[in-house]
Amino acid sequence: MATERGGSTEPAEQTSQEYTDRLFSHQRIESLLGNGLYAFAALMLVFLWLPLLIIVFLSFAQSPNLLPFEGFTLGNYQGITGEPGLRSSVVASFSIATLSAIIATVLGVLSSFALTRYQFPLREVYRTFGIIPMIVPGVILGVGLRFYFLTVGIDPSFFATVLTHSLYGLPFVLLIVSARLYTFDESLEEAARDLGADPLTTFRDITFPVIAPAIGAGFLFAWVRSFEDYIRALFVSGVTTDPLTQWMFGKITKASAENLNVLNVVSTLIVLAIAIALAVAMNYGNVTGYVAGTGDEEE
Amino acid sequence: MAAPDRDETLRATLVRGLSRRRTSLGVTVGPSAIWIVLLLVAPLAFMTAVSFASIDSVTFDIVWEPTVNNYYNLVAGGTSEYSLGPLVYKATAFEKAVLLSYAIATVATVLCLVFAFPLAYVLARLDDRMFKIVIYLVLLPFFTMYLVRAYSWRLMFGQSGVLNQVLGAVGVGPVGAFEFGILAIIVGLTHAYFPYMLITLYASLDGLDFSLIEAARDLGASRVDIVKDHIIPLTLPGIVGGCLFVFVPSVGAFITPQILGQGKVQMIGILIEQRAIGEATNAATASAASMAVVVSIVVAMFLVFRYVNLDELGGV
Repeated sequence: MATERGGSTEPAEQTSQEYTDRLFSHQRIESLLGNGLYAFAALMLVFLWLPLLIIVFLSFAQSPNLLPFEGFTLGNYQGITGEPGLRSSVVASFSIATLSAIIATVLGVLSSFALTRYQFPLREVYRTFGIIPMIVPGVILGVGLRFYFLTVGIDPSFFATVLTHSLYGLPFVLLIVSARLYTFDESLEEAARDLGADPLTTFRDITFPVIAPAIGAGFLFAWVRSFEDYIRALFVSGVTTDPLTQWMFGKITKASAENLNVLNVVSTLIVLAIAIALAVAMNYGNVTGYVAGTGDEEE
Repeated sequence: MAAPDRDETLRATLVRGLSRRRTSLGVTVGPSAIWIVLLLVAPLAFMTAVSFASIDSVTFDIVWEPTVNNYYNLVAGGTSEYSLGPLVYKATAFEKAVLLSYAIATVATVLCLVFAFPLAYVLARLDDRMFKIVIYLVLLPFFTMYLVRAYSWRLMFGQSGVLNQVLGAVGVGPVGAFEFGILAIIVGLTHAYFPYMLITLYASLDGLDFSLIEAARDLGASRVDIVKDHIIPLTLPGIVGGCLFVFVPSVGAFITPQILGQGKVQMIGILIEQRAIGEATNAATASAASMAVVVSIVVAMFLVFRYVNLDELGGV
């Protein structure tokens, strides 16, 4: 860690006064730069967090204005139980996210095996198209699927949203699971086969336990992406399905004091739920590895 | 005892089937291939077709007569004059939206890169305990609903937003810059995609051999030299990938400009939405605008992927 301390190159003997002066001023600049780096990094964390903390703070405030501050209350939290449409939109979002993430996971795991284990024509094209749903801007994927669904006779609905999100979730599963399979030691499978296990048993007892965390991470990614999606669902969900994001968006565009109070509470609950889920997940597995793709050596 | 027997034969058939290469290939490749063809390739092909068709103005049915009018109208339809400071120029709504989207996305990308790089560097140098805490603080906003984060800036900006409230309390009147508009959108997008940039940069800095840097320092290189000559070249794939992850969704952003622009800033995402389901519905125009954006992104990605491999970008 010599870089951080800056002056690890202490001379063995300090004969020249001039040399010492130069070294100390150099050291001071180095430490200033080093501290500046850490201060800047801390400032960036504040940038990430400040708006979220203000939401949490305001969710306990009597009025949704920070200033003049009118005191704390838990009334906002009691208020949301009677909010029309909130419960059904949470249920809708949960159902859509769960169903589409299941489909995305099954498809993603199968195609990860295909990509890592077999050679076949158009393999690179297949892989690229497997990743495109994640890259295409949401507006365009939503508009394209809307026109297409209407033409082939699928009306904007719950079903159409599940189909859309299952496509959107596929790349996340594909990337995470295939990264794991690339590093999987196939000699383990060969050993099992040599000892007489059939392919199904080998998969159940050897392969699956090894890649299970990656499958779980892929599922969670696909689930979260579906749950937080607004723009794709906007085009394909129709008037009968109202996911949470659309319910919230409606409140944001009609920003009365009451609506802001409700939104602050719902947002705070979402941040809280994610904070807990993330803490559990990080305690359980190598979340950073899956997010940043930085190898599996930490598992 | 018929049931177990049938199970056994089913299992035997499965095992036999899976042992054959052709079957296992079909089982693994097939389902996603069907999904991709039906839900990605077909819709995009359909959209391409519609972009070369026209819409009957009475029945709203698609008229299948090949035409390039939709594209022509995007760049040569009704123009109006816009002024940018002393400059006055004529442009169509589409041209203006594209320019604005690309400009805003570029600024947001540069800000993300400049803001995220120091934090990613610090993250790669932290010891395990601090790393866990800081990465938690970074990942939480990353996983927090996009809409919640856009909404959080909706509270900060605006005539009576938190920023202006605070400024008002210290006696500086409401500042126009903190009203909804381009600045708010840039801040919102930077905040929204900052974690993508950060995590991509971190992934590539984490693989960096820091002994190289220490060696360079021992040999007398300054910090600036080291960043310029070692860190940036070695993390270039991460930088390019991170920029891509910020730039592409920023160009097509909808929620952020809608909430933080309050109708004053028409980025391309909003324009397409309005043509698709909003005030000026026209499936052909919406398709043509979408295809134009897709093509521009594909060109950008093609240029980028000459320098980085998709596998290096991790699971973001």
